[in-house]
Amino acid sequence: MVSQKNPPPGETPGALEGLRVIDQTQVMAGPFCSMLLADMGAEVIKVEPREGEYTRQERAIAPGVSASFLALNRNKRSLALDLKQPEGVEILKKLAATADVLVENYRPGVAGRLGVDFEILKKVNPRLIYCSISGFGQTGPYASRGGFDLIAQGMSGIMSATGSEGGPPVKVGVPITDLGAGLFAVFGILCALRARRATGRGQFVDTSLFEAGLALSAWEATEYWYTGQIPKRLGTAHRLNAPYQAFKASDGYFTVGAANNKLWGLFAQMLGLGKLVADPRFDTVGGRMQNRLELERLLEAETSKQPRAVWLERCEKAGVPAGPIYSVAEALADPQAQARGMTLEYEYPGVGMVKALGNPVKLSRTPARLRRVPPRLGEDSDAILRELGYGVDEVKALRQKKAIS
Amino acid sequence: MKPLQGIRVIDLTQAMAAPFCTMNLADMGADVIKIEPPGEGEPTRQLGAAQKNGHSATFMTMNRCKRGIAVDLKQPEGVEIVRKLVATADVFVQNYRPGVVNRLGLDFDSLKKINPRLVYCQISGFGNTGPYSGRGGYDLIAQGMSGVISVTGDEDGPPAKSGIPLADLAAGLFGAYGILSALEYRERTGEGQLVDTSLLEAAMALTVWESAEYWSTGKAPKPVGSAHRNSAPYQALRALDGYFTVGAGSDKLFAAFCAVLGRKDFLEDQRFAGRAARLANRRALEAEIEKITGRETRAAWLERLEKAGVPAGPINNYAEALADPHALARGMVVDLVHPGAGAIKALGVPVKLSETPGAVERAAPLLGQHTAEVLAELCYSESEQKALLSKGVVQ
Repeated sequence: MVSQKNPPPGETPGALEGLRVIDQTQVMAGPFCSMLLADMGAEVIKVEPREGEYTRQERAIAPGVSASFLALNRNKRSLALDLKQPEGVEILKKLAATADVLVENYRPGVAGRLGVDFEILKKVNPRLIYCSISGFGQTGPYASRGGFDLIAQGMSGIMSATGSEGGPPVKVGVPITDLGAGLFAVFGILCALRARRATGRGQFVDTSLFEAGLALSAWEATEYWYTGQIPKRLGTAHRLNAPYQAFKASDGYFTVGAANNKLWGLFAQMLGLGKLVADPRFDTVGGRMQNRLELERLLEAETSKQPRAVWLERCEKAGVPAGPIYSVAEALADPQAQARGMTLEYEYPGVGMVKALGNPVKLSRTPARLRRVPPRLGEDSDAILRELGYGVDEVKALRQKKAIS
Repeated sequence: MKPLQGIRVIDLTQAMAAPFCTMNLADMGADVIKIEPPGEGEPTRQLGAAQKNGHSATFMTMNRCKRGIAVDLKQPEGVEIVRKLVATADVFVQNYRPGVVNRLGLDFDSLKKINPRLVYCQISGFGNTGPYSGRGGYDLIAQGMSGVISVTGDEDGPPAKSGIPLADLAAGLFGAYGILSALEYRERTGEGQLVDTSLLEAAMALTVWESAEYWSTGKAPKPVGSAHRNSAPYQALRALDGYFTVGAGSDKLFAAFCAVLGRKDFLEDQRFAGRAARLANRRALEAEIEKITGRETRAAWLERLEKAGVPAGPINNYAEALADPHALARGMVVDLVHPGAGAIKALGVPVKLSETPGAVERAAPLLGQHTAEVLAELCYSESEQKALLSKGVVQ
């Protein structure tokens, strides 16, 4: 598939059309970053080792087809390259000369050993924006350590604030520092693109799972710095407000955010507990926070008498923000999620219909969309090399030497 | 030079998601002008437990690096000021419930007539369309409805949410991604557009692995405590004096971990040989490993694991995380001076640009701190400004 500078008639353009991205990433943070660029129309070329990116071996749904890989690599092309051979490095350099952005998430130092780090590639292309996503960043005492989401959640403080007091440690169930690092990387890349308009030069963009975890702890850092108290684990409750948590109904839990005096009044009335509103223990946010466990006990004595559906209907009528606690299956089937296009469905050759998450940001003129299904390993190797000016015989020779596949 | 220098953002936001979006733009050099109601200002200015010298910590946290003006949008002259500002702006961000801005004439369709190049971003609980678009939404509700709570917490315990408000924060970041993407398109075509995202969609977009698991197995994923859905050992482990984390799911790292534990025999144990076996026998593996890790302190294990190149770390509380030498070396803690609160601390910029770095250089504004400055930039004369002040249109 050749990159398209102009969309076919009848199709909306992509906001990032014309942007060429080399994606030397694996697993989650890096692939998530480049997928967000690809969703907006950037041409993303995933450079994989000849045996394929690590994730291709996980969660098989058909021979050689990984659900995990599909989830993060749509709208990308694939070039399978052996960077341990000089020909492989040469191809990557030629590719870098044509690109706007390169994203990688190797451990710091690996790109240098392969001869494809920023210092080398910026000589090939001074306009290149080179983004590294790592566990801890390229500098500082832990730079060389390997880092996973779990480690970053633990070290950034997130685990210390997640779960129920007294229980064993739990992490946020989604890999939030991976995803957060991917988002901050996209943000940094798009900022660097704007700077390039003024300076004419690319630059190095450096972020990490650890820093993303800290940056996402804005509320918790604030609590610590301003109150001197170390944020605790609160189950589903809020650090600064009450009632704002999950409550037990007769058939499970639901959430309620009655986070100001007005909503608290409405919620209490709705439960037939209007007398609590004037109760000096509960008549201010401060009081409700101080007496949160008592408040929870009094409210749950009522909420546990009826099923979730009854309470959610009453909350909606009363204008009290509330919601179910869905499983992932229920979340995806919810009418609002459906109406907002949060599930995409496409046919994957040889597998059949496959589902994927939609892009969460809706642009009116240039909506994110599925332009192509995730690539097979090396699916675009030949086409990309031909675009770089390699002849048919040269491509054949490279294939025979196992520099590409 | 900062990367977003020259980009002007009109910020009609409150609480967390949208202020976090514009804060990130401000860190990178955008001129963010926050519009607040006179009198009390944005609701987060109201004091909670976290404050200094009568200034709200939550407000100061989310509004650094911005300029602030106080304008009464219930008076037509106030709305006129905002419309004049919009004519000079690149980006407009608001997080009212859908409908509120229509009543004020500050909706996308109205503002694009003033400025066709405007990128207009709306961050709401559920998005601008669909059956729940009119509902109010909070982080907690989005966490519950996206499935995030269903996969967080102890295997058998009560529900737990992500301790950080990830739906709010992610919606802010996705908003920034949408805005900057739309600005790229505008560079090519001159056209602005509407960027519409929500807490619900942001939280759902974070369930990449979990939705893939559901679609590929037909089973909805459950909470797994600190463990990984698809890899073991990768979890918190008990030491003599508390817990630490280890990620050693690959065969190579598992072998290195077993060497550190002095239990190379695990590699031959058929329950633990290979990734699939370890995942299937995760609880048995955990029990075997904790028999050994429980004998010594966290510090002892972390030192050995670092030497062996096995990713591992402490479970820091926030006092520890914010004092960690690496966090400090990466500039993640910044000292600022606020005009009312004095010396305060703030988190740094997590993404480092080598040539045009962002920076946290200015504390959040006092209510109306830049009103006169901004009105003067809009060419309101001194007498006009006085009249607006005396009518209570601005503060």
